[in-house]
Amino acid sequence: MNVGAILLLTISTLVLVVLLILRGRKGPRPTIRPLPAFQHLKAQVGQTAERGGTIHVALGSGGLYEGDVTLSLAGLQTVKALAGDAISYGVRPIITVGDPTLLPLTQDTLRRAYEQCGLAQQYDPGQVRFIAPSPLAYAAGAGHVVAAEDVTTNVLAGAFGAEVSLIADAGARNDLDQLAAAATPGAIGALYPTTGHLAVGEELYAAGAYTTGERRYLVSLVAQDILRVILVLGILGAAALAFING
Amino acid sequence: MSRLVKQWIPTLIATVTGLIVLAGYLFPGQLLVYYQGRITQWRDVLIEWAVIVAAFAFALGLLNILHVHGGRVVHARKGWFYSLVLLLAALAACVPPILYGPSGALTQQMLNYVIGPLGASLAGLLVFTLTLAAFRLLRVRRSVGAVLFVLIVAVVLLGSTPFVGLEWLADARDWIISVPGMAGGRGLLLGVALGTMITALRVLMGSDRPHSEF
Repeated sequence: MNVGAILLLTISTLVLVVLLILRGRKGPRPTIRPLPAFQHLKAQVGQTAERGGTIHVALGSGGLYEGDVTLSLAGLQTVKALAGDAISYGVRPIITVGDPTLLPLTQDTLRRAYEQCGLAQQYDPGQVRFIAPSPLAYAAGAGHVVAAEDVTTNVLAGAFGAEVSLIADAGARNDLDQLAAAATPGAIGALYPTTGHLAVGEELYAAGAYTTGERRYLVSLVAQDILRVILVLGILGAAALAFING
Repeated sequence: MSRLVKQWIPTLIATVTGLIVLAGYLFPGQLLVYYQGRITQWRDVLIEWAVIVAAFAFALGLLNILHVHGGRVVHARKGWFYSLVLLLAALAACVPPILYGPSGALTQQMLNYVIGPLGASLAGLLVFTLTLAAFRLLRVRRSVGAVLFVLIVAVVLLGSTPFVGLEWLADARDWIISVPGMAGGRGLLLGVALGTMITALRVLMGSDRPHSEF
C-alpha cells in the first residue's frame, strides 16, 4: 500500500511536471510566491563586495548517497546562483561541506562558475572545504571558518540539525548578515532566532527558482505548490470522511 | 564530441542509474514478476558501487584537509597554529587504527575517552548557543512571533524540569509537543517529501544536471 501510494505520487508528479513544462515552453513565465530569504540573496552579494569581505556558504552534513541528497542538491543551487555574482564582484566565496561525497561536486560547481566568468586561473580548490563527517564537529569547524576568515555574509543552506546553532552563533557574534534555509524542525528552531531571512521546509527547494529565475526551476516550484494543495485537500477530505463515519 | 562526453553521457548514466534504483524499490513483487528479481539485483550492485565511490570520497576529503591546513601552516597564514594542531591530531588519530585495527583496544579507548567526550561537550555547548540566540531574538526582533517563540521555549524547558509546583507546565509541554508541534512537524515532512520528489525527478529527467559540464 505504501509503495503503491509512493508510485502513484511519483507518476502523478512526473506527469504534472511534464505537462507544465510543455504548457510553459512558449507561454508567460510562471509567477511564484515571494520568499524573503532568497529575494535578498543577490543583493547580499553586492553588499559583501562593497564591504570588501567574503561570503561563506555552509552546505551542512548531507552527502550524495544517503537520505539528504536532495537537500544537498538544493544547497548546491544556492552556491551555483551566488558564485557567479560573487566572482564577478571580486568576492572569493568559501564553501564548507560536512560530507566528502559532496566535496568534488561543489568544487566542480565553483570551478564552472569561475570559468563562466573568464577567471578560471583564479579558482582555488581550497575554497571548498571538507570540515568533518560528524554533524557537531562540522558545525564547530564551520563556525570557526565564519569567525576566523574575513566573512561578512553567512549563508546556510542544506542538511542541518540543531547543531547549526554553533555556526549561526559564530555569525551573530561577528554581527554578520545571515541567510538560511533548512528543512528539519531542529535546525529551523535553532535558526529562527538568529536570522530574519529564513526559508523553512520545502522552501529550501525553491532556491533555484529565485536565484536563477530559470524556467525549469519555476515550473517545478509551481508543480510542487499544486501538489501540496492537492495533498492538503486530500488530508482535509480524509479527516472529514473519518469524522462523518464516526 | 566534447558536448557528448561532458553533457550527454553523464546525464544518461545518472538517469539510467536513478531509474533502475527507483524501479528496484517501487515496483511491487506481484508486478513484473520475471523482471523484479533482476532489477533488484542491478539495484543492489549499483548501491554497492555507490558505497565504494563514497569510500574514495573520504580519501579526497582527507586530501582537502591536508591541502587547506597544510597550506596555511607552510605559508604561516592567520590561524596557522590551530591548523598545525589539527594536522597533528589527525595524524595521531590515524596511528591506533593502522597499528591495532578499527576494533583494537587503543582505537576503542581513543573513541571512548577522546572523540566521544569531545562530541558530548560540543553538544553541551548547544544549550548555551540556543539560549543566547533566544536572548538576542528578544533584543533584536521584538515581534509577536519572537515573544511567542521564547514563551513556548520557556514552557517546554520548564515543563521538562522536576520542580515541585510546576507539574501543570508538564501537561502544557506535552500538549505543545503532541498537538501543534507534531502537526507542524508533519506538515514540514510532507512539504520536504514533495520537494525531494520534484528535485529527484528533475535530476532523473535530465532537467537538472549538477553532474554534467553544461
